[in-house]
Amino acid sequence: MAPIFDLRDVCFEYERIPALRGLSLQIAAGESVALLGANGSGKSTLLRLLDALCFPSQGTIDFGGQRLSQELFQKDGFALGFRRRVALVFQNPDVQLFNPTVFDEVAFGPLQLQWPKEKVVSQVAATLELMSLAHLRDRPPYRLSGGEKKRVALASVIVLDPEVLLLDEPTSTLDPRSQSQIIDLIQEWKGSSKTIITATHQLEIVEDIASRVAVLEEGKLAASDSPAEILSNHELLLRANLVHAHRHSHGTVTHSHPHLHAHSKHEHEH
Amino acid sequence: MSRGTVVRSTVMGFARALARALISEDIARRRGLLQSLDPRVRLVGLFSLVLAVTLSRRLWVVGVLFVVALAVAVLSNVSLAILAKRVWLVVFVFTSAIAFPAIFLTPGTPVATFAGGAVHITEQGLTTSGLLIARVETAVTFTTLLILCTAWAQVLKALRSFRLPQEAIAMLAMTHRYIFLLTETATQVFESRESRTVGVLPAAEQRRITAATAGVLLSKSIDLSNDVYLAMQSRGFRGEIRTLSEFHMQSWDYVGLLAFLLAGGAAVWMGR
Amino acid sequence: MHIPDGYLSPSTCVTLYAGAAVGWYASLKRLKRVLLSRMVPLISVFAAFAFVVMMFNLPLPGGTTGHALGVTIAAIVLGPSGAVLAVSIALAIQALFFGDGGISTLGANCCNMAIVGSLVAYGTYRLIAAGTAISSKRRVAAAAIAGYLALNATALIAAIEFGIQPALFHTANGTPLYAPYPLGIAIPAMMIGHLTFAGLAEAVISAGLVAHLQVADPGLLRATSGIAARGDAASPSEQPATKSLRRLWLTVVFLMLLTPLGILAAGTAWGEWAPSEFARGGSVPQPTGPSHGLAVTAGMQRLSTLWTAPFPSYAPGFVKSPAFGYLLSAMFGVGFLLAASLLLQHYFKRRRSTGHSS
Repeated sequence: MAPIFDLRDVCFEYERIPALRGLSLQIAAGESVALLGANGSGKSTLLRLLDALCFPSQGTIDFGGQRLSQELFQKDGFALGFRRRVALVFQNPDVQLFNPTVFDEVAFGPLQLQWPKEKVVSQVAATLELMSLAHLRDRPPYRLSGGEKKRVALASVIVLDPEVLLLDEPTSTLDPRSQSQIIDLIQEWKGSSKTIITATHQLEIVEDIASRVAVLEEGKLAASDSPAEILSNHELLLRANLVHAHRHSHGTVTHSHPHLHAHSKHEHEH
Repeated sequence: MSRGTVVRSTVMGFARALARALISEDIARRRGLLQSLDPRVRLVGLFSLVLAVTLSRRLWVVGVLFVVALAVAVLSNVSLAILAKRVWLVVFVFTSAIAFPAIFLTPGTPVATFAGGAVHITEQGLTTSGLLIARVETAVTFTTLLILCTAWAQVLKALRSFRLPQEAIAMLAMTHRYIFLLTETATQVFESRESRTVGVLPAAEQRRITAATAGVLLSKSIDLSNDVYLAMQSRGFRGEIRTLSEFHMQSWDYVGLLAFLLAGGAAVWMGR
Repeated sequence: MHIPDGYLSPSTCVTLYAGAAVGWYASLKRLKRVLLSRMVPLISVFAAFAFVVMMFNLPLPGGTTGHALGVTIAAIVLGPSGAVLAVSIALAIQALFFGDGGISTLGANCCNMAIVGSLVAYGTYRLIAAGTAISSKRRVAAAAIAGYLALNATALIAAIEFGIQPALFHTANGTPLYAPYPLGIAIPAMMIGHLTFAGLAEAVISAGLVAHLQVADPGLLRATSGIAARGDAASPSEQPATKSLRRLWLTVVFLMLLTPLGILAAGTAWGEWAPSEFARGGSVPQPTGPSHGLAVTAGMQRLSTLWTAPFPSYAPGFVKSPAFGYLLSAMFGVGFLLAASLLLQHYFKRRRSTGHSS
């Protein structure tokens, strides 16, 4: 089967600092892939490229055989179709919750895609029910807990029933119970025909959420294999800074800036 | 002066603002007169009463409007204690500080003379001060009732149906939402800085801390706005914001609207 | 600085709402050509930032505290149109959600703080920082001065709005219906607090933020730097489209600048209250209010005589209504500010276009 995403030699820089340096990767439709990497390995950047929020400076990304480009997204028809099929859940839910209430938040996507009103209302209600958020319908985001915010962020994209789900660190900074709730949801989708691409640095969840693991190291693909193979390859994990990775908390701040980790020290502002 | 007094008072100001927002939301969810009306009726109705307050030129008419405000408050399940604490006292202190000198400074018929004729209290001065204080108290009470009894999301929906540009509504909505996030961030930054300081901070140092915190906040704000834009695009935002409006005026709403407009109109007529 | 409901007459409120509406319309229109969709989140977050910064207490010399408005940094990063919208939105939320500043006076507050504040801040910053590198120390100083001037211009406009109330709106026996103090008291009372303290708060915060951006995010200073504009803030293509708007502005400014003729004519209005009221002013109990309260001090007396000096009481008296004179002088003030900002804008456009061709 032709891959749904086909990346060839993708490079990307933020203000001249490279984030991805020649990454090639194929992802089949219906596959569940974990992008494993330390902070700054380029996971978040890769997800944004896959969601066509930015475009490679070199190399190409094909989606369902079509080359993604800025020009293509000038066309409403293609852009809306793509947005309908591919959805990204950001690491920091605060970024994604910009509407006054939970209901408005979940309704935002369907409204932009110009669904009829009745369908919007019924779909939003069903999604809130599914994510056990119905009782929070009229809450403003600042009155939600961290776990609830994450669930609303998820609800706001799955209401569109996308074929491809891109998840950026869906379980980091969550308490254990919210974490397992989210993992359960991902496992449910895994069984369906959805393509699920999850960026994470948490080794312990990889087996639950993915059937294949792609390890990213300094903006390149270091390995791609089954979870069992990858998790037993200690040398690889050490090199990719995934075991004994230094610990530091970023609080609620999205951390997606693309610096490279010097392995002995790190220097960025928290 | 304890360390970081000013920084502390800023943080407490944040907490107070948040607490206020939470109170409003609880009151907005109660059952009551204002809560039972369509948000658009509340907005138009209370705005017309505020206008009536500013239009009427007689003290007693403003007084009657104040009683109307009290009645609306009681019927809407708003405790008068909250109004007294949040509105009446603050407004009285602030406005009377401004209005007090006018008792002497306004030219007119003297009613009392001090310091051998150098200083007069004038009739006009007393009236203008009284009118100013009564007006501000009453108008702010109406505004506060609107705020207390209407969740922000409903205010936005009401504004939407007044044909304001979509972008303006979207910005109002997003700004409100991110005020809380940035307040939280600022509190964290202030508190972490405070925990690292020992002893009394000189004013210059407090100024520096405050400016530096503003700087951190600015950087975070900008990053945030970039990411929010991407998040909007990701869900199909193409430059035009589409929303759902789901208001239906009931006959009760028309009754309310009519009552507000009649009260306002009567006040303007009587207070000419 | 936030004018609550009840201080201004309804007709003043309506006029200033209309003024603010022109500002909002012009800003939206200007931004629409730039790419409003991108600006929506940026302006929103900036408005939230301005709102939060307004809550920062800043210790000032003399044991007082003040707070900044955030309008200067908004003008420096977003440009005048974006700043007008961002600050207006922050003010609207303060009025509609937190109850600070009135609903009927929202237009007035937006005119004063968002529109006048942004234009003065932007003009001053561009003028002083012109031609310097992004990392130049002069930009920090420019931000400080811009902040100081913007806040004082804002206070001046508010004082004028207060000051024209008693002459325009009073009962038959002379009782003022709204803000009770004439220009001669309102202006010095407002300005003393702002010239000394409140203006400093905005200056400190604006300078601190520009210094921060120079290190942390210099790209944000580029849009209004006048150096090799990357086509975002003010691209050449916007010029023809905003031409009709500019003509409208020019007409308004021209009309307003004609008002000195009227002031000369109504000169009695200025002299009328000044001597008698100030004789009393000194012996009045002195309220020591917050910096924006209408404190009456001895220094004010001196300042106010200075202010009234250019308007002698021997001016022809054929315009009897003092109200007329107040209105005209206020219009002149606004017209002057607008003219200054238009001239500045024109100057920078010229500079930039010659800079490109060389």
